[in-house]
Order: sequence, then structure tokens, then C-alpha cells
Amino acid sequence: MAFVVTTLIFAAVGIIASLLVRICFSGGPSANLLHFTLVVTAVVCSWMMWAIVYLAQMKPLIVPILSEGE
Amino acid sequence: MAIDEFLDNLPPMDLMRSEKMTLVQLIIPVESAHRAISYLGELGLVQFRDLNADKSPFQRTFVNQVKRCAEMSRKLRFFKDQISKAGLLSSARPAMQPDIELEELEIQLADHEHELNEMNSNSENLRQSYNELLEFKMVLQEASGFLVSHDNHTVSEERELDENVYSNNSYVETASLLEQDMMRPGRPDQSGLRFVSGIICKSKVLRFERMLFRATRGNMLFNQALADEQIMDPLSTEMVEKVVFVVFFSGEQARTKILKICEAFGANCYPVPEDVTKQRQITREVSLRLADLETTLDAGIRHRNKALTSLSFHLAKWMNMVRREKAVYDTLNMLNFDVTKKCLLGEGWCPIFAKTKVQEALQRATFDSSSQVGIIFHVMDAIESPPTYFRANHFTSPFQEIVDAYGVARYQEANPAVYTVITFPFLFAVMFGDWGHGICLLLGALVLIARESKLSSQKLGSFMEMLFGGRYVLLLMSLFSIYCGLIYNEFFSVPFHIFGGSAYKCRDATCSDAHSVGLVKFRDPYPFGVDPSWRGSRSELPFLNSLKMKMSILLGVAQMNLGIIISYFNARFFASSIDIRYQFVPQIIFLNSLFGYLSLLIIIKWCTGSQADLYHVMIYMFLSPTDALGENQLFWGQRPLQIILLVLALIAVPWMLFPKPFILKKLHTERFQGRSYGILNTSEMDLEVEPDSARSQYHEEFNFSEVFVHQMIHSIEFVLGAVSNTASYLRLWALSLAHSELSTVFYEKVLLLAWGYDNFAVKLIGLAVFAFATAFILLMMETLSAFLHALRLHWVEFQNKFYHGDGYKFKPFSFASLTEDED
Repeated sequence: MAFVVTTLIFAAVGIIASLLVRICFSGGPSANLLHFTLVVTAVVCSWMMWAIVYLAQMKPLIVPILSEGE
Repeated sequence: MAIDEFLDNLPPMDLMRSEKMTLVQLIIPVESAHRAISYLGELGLVQFRDLNADKSPFQRTFVNQVKRCAEMSRKLRFFKDQISKAGLLSSARPAMQPDIELEELEIQLADHEHELNEMNSNSENLRQSYNELLEFKMVLQEASGFLVSHDNHTVSEERELDENVYSNNSYVETASLLEQDMMRPGRPDQSGLRFVSGIICKSKVLRFERMLFRATRGNMLFNQALADEQIMDPLSTEMVEKVVFVVFFSGEQARTKILKICEAFGANCYPVPEDVTKQRQITREVSLRLADLETTLDAGIRHRNKALTSLSFHLAKWMNMVRREKAVYDTLNMLNFDVTKKCLLGEGWCPIFAKTKVQEALQRATFDSSSQVGIIFHVMDAIESPPTYFRANHFTSPFQEIVDAYGVARYQEANPAVYTVITFPFLFAVMFGDWGHGICLLLGALVLIARESKLSSQKLGSFMEMLFGGRYVLLLMSLFSIYCGLIYNEFFSVPFHIFGGSAYKCRDATCSDAHSVGLVKFRDPYPFGVDPSWRGSRSELPFLNSLKMKMSILLGVAQMNLGIIISYFNARFFASSIDIRYQFVPQIIFLNSLFGYLSLLIIIKWCTGSQADLYHVMIYMFLSPTDALGENQLFWGQRPLQIILLVLALIAVPWMLFPKPFILKKLHTERFQGRSYGILNTSEMDLEVEPDSARSQYHEEFNFSEVFVHQMIHSIEFVLGAVSNTASYLRLWALSLAHSELSTVFYEKVLLLAWGYDNFAVKLIGLAVFAFATAFILLMMETLSAFLHALRLHWVEFQNKFYHGDGYKFKPFSFASLTEDED
């Protein structure tokens, strides 16, 4: 559940970022397409990183075993 | 298909493919040629092809002008040298004077050089006389001491009387004693003793004395004294120490020997009169002459410096002008005269969007040079491949340079820089992930960007220049590093609870078995990033290693799939359906049926928490695919699915190997059925086809074995590369582990250790060592290391799926790109 919610948050951030970039750095249609590609790539990379780390911790096979002195 | 239509209706993306280029031919009448080329140089959008490539530099048309320009730039460099040697600052006064023509400039430069050379030689001569006189003065000073002490006792009283008498006497001889013949080294004494006085470098004195001793068989007396001041040696322009000497000897032969030895050792002999009065008079005269010379020298230097200063105002402008003219003549040398000798023919590449600008510049040139005939400018077809031109702004250009360093894109193939802008800093950050270090990098990048205008006009060292050129790369790298640092939860290796409490707690209130069995997970996973409870625990490394290795595989498979999909778009753009059907499809099937399947298994194992051993699954999928899976079963239907995927992978290999060469052969024979000769070159413009023209004959050979071997190499490379490239992505895990461990060591073993002591000095030293270690090892070395590995992943693993990189870059003739130190 939390996974889906956060994924939707990433998607929303992506949409907002593309709109902001369109407003601030608008060029011709070719340039806009390039900016859109860059934003989408960045959001997809960031989401993948987060998703991998989140999924790996969902049902862990080992747990933290504290070392001496903690 | 709807997708195809959608894709076709999209506007072309900016940086994705090279700008469309066209081959143009220019026919320029001679009178407007120079002006036309200058205007095109200012515009900077045409790359001329060298039509005279087979001619040596001396056979070309405008070789004289080029020589003149080279001569002028030599003179200008000479002036620059002189200005810097004289220690003047070259300031450029804003050009108030009107622009001057090249011929006028040539004459002016010749005049200035002549004047400067004269001034220099004059001051050379003056300085030489000055040195000689100075040496004479020193010899007089010191040698008089020797001569006085040497005199016989019998004449000592006489001498004293003389001294007193003559020094009180204000009678001064009108004739200067210097005018007399000075080669006689003093009147012969009663004992026949004579002397030679002079001055020699201190370093040679010992050998000199010994040589004299040997030559005169010991019959000499050598007195020496160090001179008061140092003298400037004209050859080495340094100040050297000199020693004044007086050699007493008897006999004429000894004298010749001694003089010859003096000459050999470079000692300057100056005659010193024995008479004290004469000595004083000569000393006075010499001093006067010295003062005169000094004033003359100073005046000369001031005059020269004034001339140099006035030159330095214009120097930069003139150098610029000469450089431009030389470039224009070099370009004119690339053009050809036509038969009538009244026009110049030129060929060049130019982007299609710039055509109107070029035409307008040419029209202006025709108008400005009041030529009757206009310049003809038209496009031609080219067989040769055009240069590649990407219009990158200063944000995307460092990334473009990174890609170009491997190979410039073929004309109109997909540019990996579009994705590299984001994935390169991202992969860097995966290996660097620490948001404390990321903030340090961010500060550095912001400093560079803030002082952009100031630093871009300065001349920087090569390292600083690279760093400054990559400031936007550094900015993105630092931003992604901060993000990945937050995900790995490392701030100088210290975890924080920024996103809430940990998901793990002790099993019971006493935490008794926390050190043996460990904590227990009691709620949802940590919402963002790695749980802070892991840091410092005994099972930290097994957990993180497993996580990072699987992460590397997933990221690698994703990037490689992106590469193959880009190759699909390339095939679609060049309308090569063979490539789509017999290269793209089998490649995607092969990669995904093996490593895509592995990625799927990883995700399923994470989601279900199964204890299946993925190594086992993958290996036995190949070794014994029909065996029962037992406890390695992750989902229903796994065994049949694995068999299907294995079969697909096995089919994909001959699918990408065999059909393509046979189909190419069939297409070739269809195309040239019945024709045994090549394509004829028919065109309207049939006047001399330039030998270097791009419209040369196209060779029509199809070598089947060559094509087949090429395809085989390509397929084997892909199949074996699929395994090795996937494993290569594990460097993401390796470097991020190294970074994290280094960071932990510095934090725990340096900072915490030093902080444990009560002593303030120890704490300070510990802090300093921690700061230095972080700055040099982590921030510099690790940055370079992660940069290099991220670069390798892009250049090899990503780009070998689709990139040919065998194009050449568009280098237009542009004044703006002429660099300072071109000569």
C-alpha cells in the first residue's frame, strides 16, 4: 500500500517538474521535448532507486543483529 | 499502427540526431572573394572542404599572403616578448583609432620592428661600454692598494712626499690620461718588475692563478681582491662576482704569456698607472664617464619603454586582425580557380537551417565589394557522409563532449548524450551515495557556477579548466549524490532518522537477545531509504551486499534494454526493416529471456520473501531445466516458463546470426540485376568534377563472406556481452561498498577515536586528519574513481548496444574559434 502511494507521489512530482521546466525554460517544440525527456529520465531513475531499496526491505530474510557496545 | 503515427507526429527532439547538413557549392568572383570569406568566418556556419589537398603549402594560390601574415605575426610576437621582458603590463586601450588596412599594418609593423631593433642594439653597446668602465673603476680601486704596498722601501718616502705634494696641489692636467696609450703597463721599475692588472670571474680565479704559476715557472706574484659590487655578465644577463688581480712578473716573454692566458680565461686587463696622482685622476674621469653613461642608458630605456607601451595598446587588436587574415587566406587556399581564372570554386558543408543566413552574408559581401557579378550558392548531392552537428547549449555541451570523447556520432544516428545527461550523474551517485559528501560537491559546483562570468574570461590551468568546463556535470552529480545518500542513509557514514522511526525493535523490553538473534521487524519498511538500524550491526554487510548486488543487476538490465530500444529507433529512422526484424527482436528476446527473467525473479523474491536461492535457479535452468524445482519455486508455472525462455534464447542466437547476410545478398542481386557496371555519374553541373569532390564514384561490391563474418562477430559480441556486461554492472555495488567502508573507517577510527579523549589538542588534530582524509581521499579520489567507472559503463555497456560513433565533427570556419596560441 505504502509502495503504491509513494509511487504515485513520484509520478506527481514528475508531472509537476515537467510543468515547471516547461514554464521556466521553454524553447521551441524540439527543445521542449528534450527537456521533457530529461525530466522523465530523472524521475524514472530516482523512482527505480527508491523502489529497489523499498522492495528489498519489505520481507527481509535477515534482521539487524546488534554488535557489542550499542 | 497508432503508436507509429504518434511517434511520427512528434517534433524531432533537439539533441537527438544531428542537424541536417547539406553540401553546398560556392562560385565566387575574385574581387569579392576575400570579403565573402571574411563574412562567412564571422558567421561561422560553413565548413569548407579542402579542394587542393594534394598540393603542398607552397603550390597554393595565396601562399604569398599567408607568408606575409606569418611574418607579421612573428613581428607581433617579438613585440609581445619585448614587452614582457621589459616588465610592462600590456593594457588594451579601447580602440579609438579607426581600423587600418592590412598593407598599412604591415608597413607600420616593419617600421616599429626596425626602430625597436635599433634601440636594442644601441643600448647593448652602451651597456657593454658601461660594464667595461665599471670593471676599470674596480681594478683601479683595488689594484692601487697592491701597487702602493708593493713599492720598494727606498722609494716609499719619495712616494709619500709626492702624494702630499700633489694632492694639495689643485693643478689638474687638462689632457685626459685616458687618451694616452694605455697598453704599456706602467714604466719599468729599477728591478725590471712589471705588472698586469685586470679583473676576472671569481669562479675562474683559482685555475687562472695556477696556470700563471705554471707558465711563468713560479716567477710571478699574484695578488687578488674581491670587487665591491657585482657586475652584469652580458651573455648570461646575471650578476656575477668578479675578482681584481695584479700579476707582478719580469721579462718580456712572461708578459706575452700572461696576456695570452688572460685572453684565454676571459679576464679583462686594464692598465693601472703606478703614479698615485694619475690613478686618482683616472678614477675621477672614469667615474664621470660612468655617470654619463648611466644617464644615457636610463634615457634609452625610458624611450624604449615608451615606444613599447604605445605598441601594447594596439597589440591585442593587431594580433587578432593578423590571425583572422591568415585564417581567411588559409581558407581561400582551399578553393580552386576555374578555367577563366576569374572565379573561385568552393565546396563546403553547411546546416540546412543556416542556408538563408549564408546567402544573406554572401549578398552583403557582393554589395560591399561593389562587384558586378553575384556569388552563386547552391546545394549539391553528396555521396560522402556529412559531418555531425549538434547544437548544444552550455548546459548540455559537457555531456556531449563526454560522448564525443568515445566517438563522434555517425550522421543522424541517435545521440546517447540525451540520456547520458541524466544517467551518467545517476550512476555516479549510485557509487558515491553519501549526502554529506554530496553537499560538499554541491558547494563546489555552486561556487564554480556563481563565478562563471569571471572564470570564463580568465586563462585557467588545465586541471581548473576541466573542472570549470564540467561545472554542470558536477552540479548534477552532486544533486544525485545527495539523493542517493538519503536513500543509503549515509551522512559521512552516519545514519539519521529523518523519515521516521526505524522499522526494527527489540523482541522484548530487555533487549537481551539483540546481540545474538537480533531485532525484529514490527511494522512497514522504512518509508524512504535504508533503515537506520542496519548501520553498525553485525549483519549489515550481508544485507547491504545482497541489496546492492541485486540493485546493480536491475539497473544494468534496465540501461541495456534502453540501449537496445534506441537501436530500434535508429533502425526505424533509417527505414531498415531488416535491422528491426533480424537484429532488434532477437536481441531483446535473448537479453530479456535470461537477464530480464533474473530481474523478475529478484523482484518476486523480494515481494514474497521466499528463501529460494537465485544462483541455483539460474544455473539449473540451463543444466537441468526439466527437473523439479523444490524449494526454489518462486511462483506457480515457473518450470514451464523457464523451459520456454530457454528455448526462446536458444532460437534467438541463430535468428540474429544467419538471416541478415543472406537477405542482404538477395537484395543486392535484385538491385543490380543485369548490371555489371557501377552507377554513372550524371549531373547537370558537369564542368570539372573536382578530384576531391564528395560526388566521387560509389563502389558497388558486395563481399558475402565479409558481411557474414561481420554479422557473426556482431552476434557473438552480443551474446557473450550479455553475460559480461551484466556482470560489469556489479561495479556499482563494489564502488559503493568501498566508499561506504572508507567513510566508516574515517568516521569511527579517526573522528570518534580522537573525540573520545579529553584533550582539546587531540580533538583538534583528529578533526583535522578527518577533514583532510575526507577531502583528499573521499572527495577527490573517490569522485574521480566513480566518474571513471560511470563513464566506462556508459561508453561500453550502454553504447555498444546501438552506437556506431564513426562520424566526424562539424568544424565550421569561424573567427570565434580561432585560438590564441595557434602559431
